[in-house]
Amino acid sequence: MTKDHNLKVILGEEKYNQIHNSKVLLVGAGGIGCELLKDLVLLGFGEIHVVDLDTIDLSNLNRQFLFRHKDIKQPKSTTAIKAVSGFNFHNSKLVPYQNSIYETDVFPLTWFDSFDLIFNALDNAEARSYINKIGLFLNKTILETGTTGTKGYVQATIPGQSACYDCTFRETPKTFPVCTIRSTPSQPVHCVHWAKNFLFSSLFGEDDDSVEDNSLEGKDASELGTDNQEELQALMKESNELIELKRSIVDESFEDKVIEKIFVKDIENLLKIEELWQQRTKPTPINYTPEYKAEILKITKEQLGTGQKLWTLEQNLSVLISSIRNLQARYSATTPIEFDKDDEDTLDFVVASTNIRSHIFNIPLKSKFDIKSIAGNIIPAVATTNAFIAGFSSLLSLGIFNNPDAFKDTRAIFASEAKDRFLSSGELDHPNPKCSACSVTRGVANIDLSLTFRQLIDALVEKYGYDEEIALSVGSKILYDLDLDDNVEKSFTELKVKYGDHLEILDETDVKGTVELYIETNTDGKITLPELVIPDKPKPVEEKKSEEDEDDDDDLEVFEENDEDELLIVEEKSIVSSVGGKRKLEDAEDNEPKKVKV
Amino acid sequence: MSALMKARLQEERKDHPFGFYAKPKKDKDGALDLTQWEAGIPGKEGTIWENATYPIQLQFPPEFPAKPPKVKFDQGFYHPNVYPSGTICLSILNEEQDWSPAINLKQIVLGVQELLDTPNPASPAQEPAWRAFQKDKATYQKKVLDQAKKYAT
Repeated sequence: MTKDHNLKVILGEEKYNQIHNSKVLLVGAGGIGCELLKDLVLLGFGEIHVVDLDTIDLSNLNRQFLFRHKDIKQPKSTTAIKAVSGFNFHNSKLVPYQNSIYETDVFPLTWFDSFDLIFNALDNAEARSYINKIGLFLNKTILETGTTGTKGYVQATIPGQSACYDCTFRETPKTFPVCTIRSTPSQPVHCVHWAKNFLFSSLFGEDDDSVEDNSLEGKDASELGTDNQEELQALMKESNELIELKRSIVDESFEDKVIEKIFVKDIENLLKIEELWQQRTKPTPINYTPEYKAEILKITKEQLGTGQKLWTLEQNLSVLISSIRNLQARYSATTPIEFDKDDEDTLDFVVASTNIRSHIFNIPLKSKFDIKSIAGNIIPAVATTNAFIAGFSSLLSLGIFNNPDAFKDTRAIFASEAKDRFLSSGELDHPNPKCSACSVTRGVANIDLSLTFRQLIDALVEKYGYDEEIALSVGSKILYDLDLDDNVEKSFTELKVKYGDHLEILDETDVKGTVELYIETNTDGKITLPELVIPDKPKPVEEKKSEEDEDDDDDLEVFEENDEDELLIVEEKSIVSSVGGKRKLEDAEDNEPKKVKV
Repeated sequence: MSALMKARLQEERKDHPFGFYAKPKKDKDGALDLTQWEAGIPGKEGTIWENATYPIQLQFPPEFPAKPPKVKFDQGFYHPNVYPSGTICLSILNEEQDWSPAINLKQIVLGVQELLDTPNPASPAQEPAWRAFQKDKATYQKKVLDQAKKYAT
């Protein structure tokens, strides 16, 4: 019996052959990507290209099962492909790329166009939006996935038929004003932020004050979160003293100096600013005496237990002292130390100083485990969730291949923490008519960049019947409009337009809808514009219109018909702070309520 | 910039209330930068702020409209709720307070105009204007009128 016998029986000869002759793209070889690559190889996809810029980290190994300890620092894409080659029973052609997906010279639009289907296994919203746009330019279906802990989703984007990734608005993580962090913390996360981004980097980071959070200069009151001059001066003084303190990093007394300054003197100084404490509980500096220190030094490693245990103030102090000693030994001005959640010394320092500060400000202490996940921006990743979400993604792809009714036949799948319904599925949403990504008409233009904007404008007017009242822009730059005609005689090159840019054409008379052209280039002195049907711009909805009126929209009727079958799932907001960390928003944070069929 | 941010900012280029202006600034390449705007706030008639248009700068962060723009008058602008840097203390511009992604430029400039003649003494942002507004109305008026001359239209 041949290796593909069972697969042929299950899929049917025809489907098997379609898949075997297909070429697919997998973007991301991380948590979901490893699982998905395994699934795609075992399903016998003909050609699988894998893109991932990242290298393998120790913290990946618990779930990115294609990687082993020996693979740390190796590229994810090549390593993943090597790993699955051992069970490449259907002889899929496997092609890795260790590049950023945004590199248009490596990944031009034509390259994306060569795939039958795109699988997203990404960890951030920006890249998802980018692939979403590519899919819209090429009219290509994307299977988009994401997980957070035990929650996850698979959603197909079928351009022109289903909602796209950007049809729903997403919240971004909150940032904290500097003074909340520096003088009036009220939550554990404020203290973590302070310990990691201010204290640690001031003492062991690079000498210059380049860490954004450390500098008060150039920040204004809205970012600082205070207008209290006394408070600002105190903070300024604190920073300067810290620079002084850093000079004594080689001294044996460094640990005492740090503790006395940070957890005693600075707090005493803050207490002097009475306005701060009129409506807040006053902080209490610790009482750091030689006798107390002697007691602290008696604490043994064994007494600290595991990272799940909550340490006492004294235990935190003992961890702080030992981490300072280790960091002191490692530090030199030429090799500053960076915080890394997997670097025990740096983590211990941050955990202990977080907790000591929390104690001072009457904030609940946290375990090392908890603080690690806050400081490292870790969103819990559960291998099982990744596995079944990837599994669903690969299974859904079978129904999408060569299926003109893919929109009707495909389900969106959600995993939630609802007790009675861990998994649910629903019809794909219709596009949001107000979506700023998929309501745009798209096409590919081929332009010789040495030509001028005037030549493009003439071509646009001739081809699409615009009058001259249009605005042309790339990203955040408006390059031409009626009031900005000094650019018309400039060339594309002069205006820094390049291959792969998305050129937007906005009809300022508000008649035609917005158009976005992907710029491909030639050197033959030509401008070739795509054949496009540009719909009229939808009439703006009157602001005063009541919600009932809006419900008359055709697109919403789908929901209404099925009202009784629906379940409203509101996913929690993501809880991530804004800084650093290798694993940022890994995966979904879809905050809009989702209507899902039960 | 995200598709949503772009669409929102393109939309903001039209429809400004009478007497106001708002436009993206030109960058060194001669393009207009949609993330950096300048706008003019006319003082309301019948107030000590009248007959002048006060310029403000708006900076839109990449997370807009999830996060608000940063809005500033010129440095040293005289008003109880304007920080010495020029940053305006207004709850609709504060992510922690009343900012909502639905707030548009028109609401922002009207909010700033409203603030001019109705300062909020409960949230002082600078010493001189705040103190004068509280304790020495004559000085306050004179300073505001002087400033109006500087920005006279």
